[in-house]
Amino acid sequence: MAKLVRLHFSESDRHRGRPLYEAIVEKCREMRIAGATVFRGLEGYGETAGLHRARWFTREQPIVVVIVDAAENIDRLLPAVEEMMDTGLIALSEVSVVRVQKSARQ
Amino acid sequence: MTRGAAKKVTIYLNEDTPFHGGTLYEAILEFLLHKGVAGATATRCMAGFGGHHRMHTPKIELLAEHLPVRVEFVETAEKVEEILPTLYDMVNDGLIEVQDTTVIKVADRDRQAAQPKRPHERRQGPATLMRIFLGEADKWHGEPLYDAIVKKLRLMDIAGATVSRGILGYGAKGHTHKQSFLHLSRDMPVMIAVVDTPEKIQAATGAVEEMLEDGLIVLSGVEAIRLVHSLRAAEAADG
Repeated sequence: MAKLVRLHFSESDRHRGRPLYEAIVEKCREMRIAGATVFRGLEGYGETAGLHRARWFTREQPIVVVIVDAAENIDRLLPAVEEMMDTGLIALSEVSVVRVQKSARQ
Repeated sequence: MTRGAAKKVTIYLNEDTPFHGGTLYEAILEFLLHKGVAGATATRCMAGFGGHHRMHTPKIELLAEHLPVRVEFVETAEKVEEILPTLYDMVNDGLIEVQDTTVIKVADRDRQAAQPKRPHERRQGPATLMRIFLGEADKWHGEPLYDAIVKKLRLMDIAGATVSRGILGYGAKGHTHKQSFLHLSRDMPVMIAVVDTPEKIQAATGAVEEMLEDGLIVLSGVEAIRLVHSLRAAEAADG
């Protein structure tokens, strides 16, 4: 069974000085997770009260990182990601993976 | 003070009604402040008349004294219950009115201002993920529909919403949404993702359905982990 994880947070969130989404994708690679995709939302809101949207000079749009991998890999990843995130939402759903390219992973 | 049902108390007085050497409205405001009431406002009125059936108006010099003053505050039912007996005792010339009201928003800029970084709190549980598919060009009373939906969800106190723009798609309208040089305005597919408890999503679904002309709402069950700051968590526990 595979799991799909959705991480919601803000574009302005940082982890040790760099964008959190970059840090999370790097962490996924480091932990050999099958893949991660970052989406930037148009607008949205969440734990922090303000409406996130692009203004003239600052970008503070919502970010969604989508990760799909086998359940045990996701369970391995989650504590690390939770540690890095300040506030936000992690949504987990069970999915069935129809096709993976075996050649992509060693 | 939290969102939801509350009581609004209005006291009608004369601005110069005496009370222990001062004026009554000042004494009432001081009393409310002392009792820790969320906020109170005294307004001097334009003109009026009260129990004495004498017109108070600034237009006629003789009647310019004793202008009416209105003191208003909004508090929880328990708090109002607690302070009403004293107010009843204090107001020796005037009128006290209590009405039911609904608090929609309590915003405190100072409290929201940059707080020191605190550890987050973890809350895990089953939740529903709602995905709304619509077009970027869809309008609702003149504003973009996705904007209107996000504002509506926020008013309904839904935990969060994210709007994303797709790069290609088709749907209920039957035409392909894609960007072209010939069209200045864009009509790309837009998706709004919302995660909250099943009950709240059900309420949100009803509200969104009313706003959506043609589009798609997809619901699925997810396991949610919310990372929130303890300040918000404390507020949620209060409410």
